[in-house]
Amino acid sequence: MMDRVPTELERVAAMLKEEPVVEFAPRREPVAPSGWIRQNLFSGWFSGILTILVGAVVGYLGFGLLKWAFLTADWTVIKANLRLYMVGRFPPDELWRVWACVYLVTALAGLSWGVTRKRLAWTVRKAATRGALAVLALASLAYLLDGVRIWVLVGAVVVIYAAAVMAGRLGARRLHIPVIVGWVLAFPLIILLLRGFGGVPPERWGGFLLNVVVAVVGIVLSFPIGIVLALGRRSSLPVIRVSCIGIIEFVRGAPLYTWLLFGLFVLPFLLPAGVVLPNIVRAMIVVTVFSSAYVAEIVRGGLQGVHLGQYEAARAIGLSTTKMMAFIVLPQALRSTIPAMISHFISLFKDTSLLAVIGFIEALRIARIAPQGQFSGDLRETLIFAGLLFWMVAFAMSRWSQRLERRLGVGER
Amino acid sequence: MWTGPGSLGPRLAHGLRFTEMAGSSVAEVQRAAIWRNVRFLRVVGQLVFAVVVVWAFRELYLNLEYGVRRVGTDLSFDFLQTRSGIPIKEGIAYDPNQSYLRAYVVAVANTVRVAGIGVVLAMLLGLVIGVARLSPNWLVRKIAQVYVEVIRNTPVLIQIIFWYFGILFALPLIEGGLSLGGVAFLSQRGAAIPWPHIGEGAGAWGLWLLGGLVLAGAVWWWRTKVNERTGRPHHRVLWSLPVLVAVAAVGYAIVGDAVRLDVPEVAGRLYRGGFQLSGEFTGILVGLVIYTAAFIAEIVRGSILAVDRGQKEAAQALGLSPAQQLRFVVLPQAFRIAVPPLNSQFLNLTKNSSLAVAVAYPELSSVSSTMINQAGRPFQITMLVMATYLTMSLTISFVMNVVNRVVTRKGEGR
Repeated sequence: MMDRVPTELERVAAMLKEEPVVEFAPRREPVAPSGWIRQNLFSGWFSGILTILVGAVVGYLGFGLLKWAFLTADWTVIKANLRLYMVGRFPPDELWRVWACVYLVTALAGLSWGVTRKRLAWTVRKAATRGALAVLALASLAYLLDGVRIWVLVGAVVVIYAAAVMAGRLGARRLHIPVIVGWVLAFPLIILLLRGFGGVPPERWGGFLLNVVVAVVGIVLSFPIGIVLALGRRSSLPVIRVSCIGIIEFVRGAPLYTWLLFGLFVLPFLLPAGVVLPNIVRAMIVVTVFSSAYVAEIVRGGLQGVHLGQYEAARAIGLSTTKMMAFIVLPQALRSTIPAMISHFISLFKDTSLLAVIGFIEALRIARIAPQGQFSGDLRETLIFAGLLFWMVAFAMSRWSQRLERRLGVGER
Repeated sequence: MWTGPGSLGPRLAHGLRFTEMAGSSVAEVQRAAIWRNVRFLRVVGQLVFAVVVVWAFRELYLNLEYGVRRVGTDLSFDFLQTRSGIPIKEGIAYDPNQSYLRAYVVAVANTVRVAGIGVVLAMLLGLVIGVARLSPNWLVRKIAQVYVEVIRNTPVLIQIIFWYFGILFALPLIEGGLSLGGVAFLSQRGAAIPWPHIGEGAGAWGLWLLGGLVLAGAVWWWRTKVNERTGRPHHRVLWSLPVLVAVAAVGYAIVGDAVRLDVPEVAGRLYRGGFQLSGEFTGILVGLVIYTAAFIAEIVRGSILAVDRGQKEAAQALGLSPAQQLRFVVLPQAFRIAVPPLNSQFLNLTKNSSLAVAVAYPELSSVSSTMINQAGRPFQITMLVMATYLTMSLTISFVMNVVNRVVTRKGEGR
């Protein structure tokens, strides 16, 4: 077989044959472009055919896509509805509240990115990719944004982010705990900023803001509830164990859409007479409960991974059950669940798009109404933009998760 | 394993005071105060918890009953027998004059249809993409990576709506629809592909097939024996396959009209014959398959990478060919790692089929929300729907658990 990457063993064997000196880290010789193409694209007849076929299909599709994006597509619909996309029917006079939240989250995100990063590693390829992305982002912004004021506001986001990344990198050792505390505090702060001091009632929150707020509420509240459920599921008390298993499996058994219907149509009946919750609050309750069951299962996995000796050691030095869980078991268990937990939170964030189906004016809903009327009625541009909004946040979160994983060495123990 | 608060309970639960345990005389054994007795506390704690739970459920039920009476309905399931009037265009035989129960059954069947076909297709696509992510070919690897990163980080609902409203609606009408060599069609109306049509002679031909299989098996066994006895290459496939094909062909010629390929055609504004996929079904199916395949690809890739490197190298050292290494050493172990996460992806796909509500494919969720609007019994209907989904989830989990046990045992049997 020609189209096969030589394994470590073969490489070592080959080296030994030619060169009796064993190098621990063989230096990689720079490969000429022609050699690179031969190695990576035409290493054998199968690989060659594959390259040509896939290249032709992708070239055709990519060309069609580019042609559509730059010639056919009508992006003015995005430009005209940008505010709707972002905040829905949020009163324009109160928009400073949203900007304050954006800055808060930006600062936290920058700090988180900074503290998990060891050093700047700019290679030529990375720099090229990042430069191209920056130009693309700038070009799209130049198309979408009008007016000096908004440019200043958006520019501030970039500045705050960069400053936070720097601060995070400089204070990496001391900032871990403050950053976590900051994220936990962000939830009440955001709600306070939006709602407090004669603010805007939740019924008027909309657009992508609504997706983010519902996701944040769900994430922050479901985390402790999920841990409690997981501990309950592992309890030796049969009544508590069975109740927790029942709750977790029942909640996980049905799709989120069904639970949202439950929250919309059944929950009002279950509340005592006279108690009326706004629709959005009920949706948040449903999302939180739904997410808790998944968090519980993830935490359970982490708990099972903690070595039995740790429990015994904790017992042996005379810790009470509470102390054992809080200081010995949970820290280890939660650390190992970080990748699964973040991917669950990403999927929860994406699932907030379901709010569109039950009548909330969030980003996807805007994407479906925006093209009506004066525009072509074509949903493609608007859907792609809504998808892009979700994609940016989800992709950033997944990258951060990978980085955190490497840094904490999850999976290496 | 930790067994919860009071795992030391049984040992200290004799009611002995510490001093006496260390102690001098058995006669002085004294009962500790009952509220210090761990066993007692455990029972009381659970009783209190149970009472609180029961009380909470009772309160909720009373609220529900009161609220339902106030809006003038009830909590019974009798409405299921009344006429539904819901138009459902897809699936098993149904007309709107039939009962809600029948509409519900049709909806469940539609969910099973989309989830079943979806799971198979997503698995196939995911396998291809997952292997592509490990390809030594740079282009293939990068494209698979872009696919995964784009699809995985975008909401599935947006994707479904995009495929249905963005792509399918942009297709030509049926008159000018796309045609693949005149045997498969795609247009706004959906898709139609050739499908085997079972004829009258199918049963008889089935017997021929069975005979062919038995004969091919015998040839297979004989070649294995020859190989074991003489050490010559067995060529089992080369020997048995022609036998099977020959028997099947002879049988087909004798029986006639057993199975033929039913090729669809455009008849006015409809498709006729073949296997027809409505636009709604195509939209939800494509959305679910493409989305889930991205996750399955990551599972496939992760599981192959998780197989210890030494395994492959050992296989190499034994002189197995790359294909044999994959077939006999890497994949069996990778498969074992992949089964539990695959299970949860299959569950996700089934549950995500509820998003068909956005494209009005009449499955469980969209029919049930229509039912809630029409029949006005949200509590009964949501409970029924949840119970149905729960049953489906448990069924899938059960099947996957069986698969898991089989693949695990294979390795341990030695």
